[in-house]
Amino acid sequence: MTKLEAKNIVKHFSHESHKLTALGGINLKVEAGDFVCLVGPSGCGKSTFLRIIAGLEKPDEGQILFDGHPVTETSPERIMVFQEGALFPWLKVQDNVEFGLKMAGIPKEERAKISNRYLDMMQLTKFANSYTYQLSTGMKQRVAIARALVMDPDVLLMDEPFASLDAQTRDLLLVEMQLIWEKTKKTILFVTHNVAEATVLGTKIVVFSNRPAIIKKEFENNFPRPRVTEDESLLKLQQDILAELRPEVKKSRE
Amino acid sequence: MIIIRKNFIPHKIAFYVGIIVVWQIVSMVGIWPDNIFPSPYEVAEDLAYGAADGSLFYGIATSMWRLSIGLAIAISGGVVLGIFMARVEVINQTVGSLVLGMQSIPSIAWVPLAILWFGLSDGGIIFVTAIGAIFAVTINTYTGVKNIDPHYIEAARNMGAKGSQLIIAVLIPAAFPYMISGFKQGWAFAWRGVIGAELLFSFLGLGFLLNAGRSLNDVSQVISIMIVIMVIGLVIDTVVFKKLENKVMSRWGLQ
Repeated sequence: MTKLEAKNIVKHFSHESHKLTALGGINLKVEAGDFVCLVGPSGCGKSTFLRIIAGLEKPDEGQILFDGHPVTETSPERIMVFQEGALFPWLKVQDNVEFGLKMAGIPKEERAKISNRYLDMMQLTKFANSYTYQLSTGMKQRVAIARALVMDPDVLLMDEPFASLDAQTRDLLLVEMQLIWEKTKKTILFVTHNVAEATVLGTKIVVFSNRPAIIKKEFENNFPRPRVTEDESLLKLQQDILAELRPEVKKSRE
Repeated sequence: MIIIRKNFIPHKIAFYVGIIVVWQIVSMVGIWPDNIFPSPYEVAEDLAYGAADGSLFYGIATSMWRLSIGLAIAISGGVVLGIFMARVEVINQTVGSLVLGMQSIPSIAWVPLAILWFGLSDGGIIFVTAIGAIFAVTINTYTGVKNIDPHYIEAARNMGAKGSQLIIAVLIPAAFPYMISGFKQGWAFAWRGVIGAELLFSFLGLGFLLNAGRSLNDVSQVISIMIVIMVIGLVIDTVVFKKLENKVMSRWGLQ
């Protein structure tokens, strides 16, 4: 079943009085339960594309179909996990995780029940009463993921969530992300500039071209899980993706 | 977070004791007559009288009551105004420019208008207090809301926060570190405003006691009330606002 469909998404930006086309007509179909990783040169508009799917930005042309209906505004059905987490520093970890539930008017006891489950899943129970400034970057990212999962979204949109993590923490979270995906069967779109990360996580890897971005190539990835970054079986796929990516990165620097 | 700082309390005590000693000596030398330059003992005596007959506490209570009402009005009005200015550009361009202008009017300059509008009443003094403080709160709230990390707002909207929910659950707490500075400035303006207004209205309160001291040629009363005004200001600044500010700064990860 097609969960998401991007139809000819075009997005311009005005940059110091000249117009810049970030997305030059993106067409993409995402099936329910897909784990799609988007890779591309930095600044090619992958994040913008994610924001358009989230309904946080409007495309200049084209539309996103979600379960066949055009996306017009942002909604908890499509939850975004931001690169820096965007956790609220004035709330304790547990209250951060429960934020969306509170907005939805769910009573306190029920909120606690739901959030406890995800705090446990992300190994955050001990930190439920901490404030975010007391957490490491990796912990913060776990809270951000828990906060998104609590909403039980149809689609999880992740914008380079592991970019600022150290290698060990990232490896841990790569394993956890696979478990979460297998457990919850969520449809996930995951933006990264790290090809190894994409091949570990994705069932499908989509390569964006340089600006104005179009989808250059899609790769299927059915290697057995759990996968780790050093898996030799992933090497060939990583090389194929890099072969597509390299000329785009080069162009983006010209 | 614990900041280890050298403890200067002995120096402070020595400094203030020194002032009092010098003051006592100067007054004992007798360069100026007692009714112009009273000794610290006489000032202390005056404070004790004021405390004994209750007039001092009544004066403090009256001033603080007016201050609280005025500041409460200024804070609630200033926060609402500041948020609207930050979120609606047309309000910023219109009302915002007026706010900047109004902020430059010293609160004392509102006194004649307050007397004409409210008469010699509590209402007039509260008006002067509130209007002296409101624009500082407004401008700081505006700056605070403008400086919110846009990701906070996007994340909140994405999780279903709308309208007043968004304001209460995100905009106000996210802008709070700036708003605290606004409250602190607002309080300082309000405190000056309430004393100044009471002086001119001459209608109860610490400002009134100051003025009463002047008309009775009672210099020690004037000085004793000034000391009370200073001590209250210092206590509220350090106990209430410094503590609140430190807590907010560390929680928001700004320290």
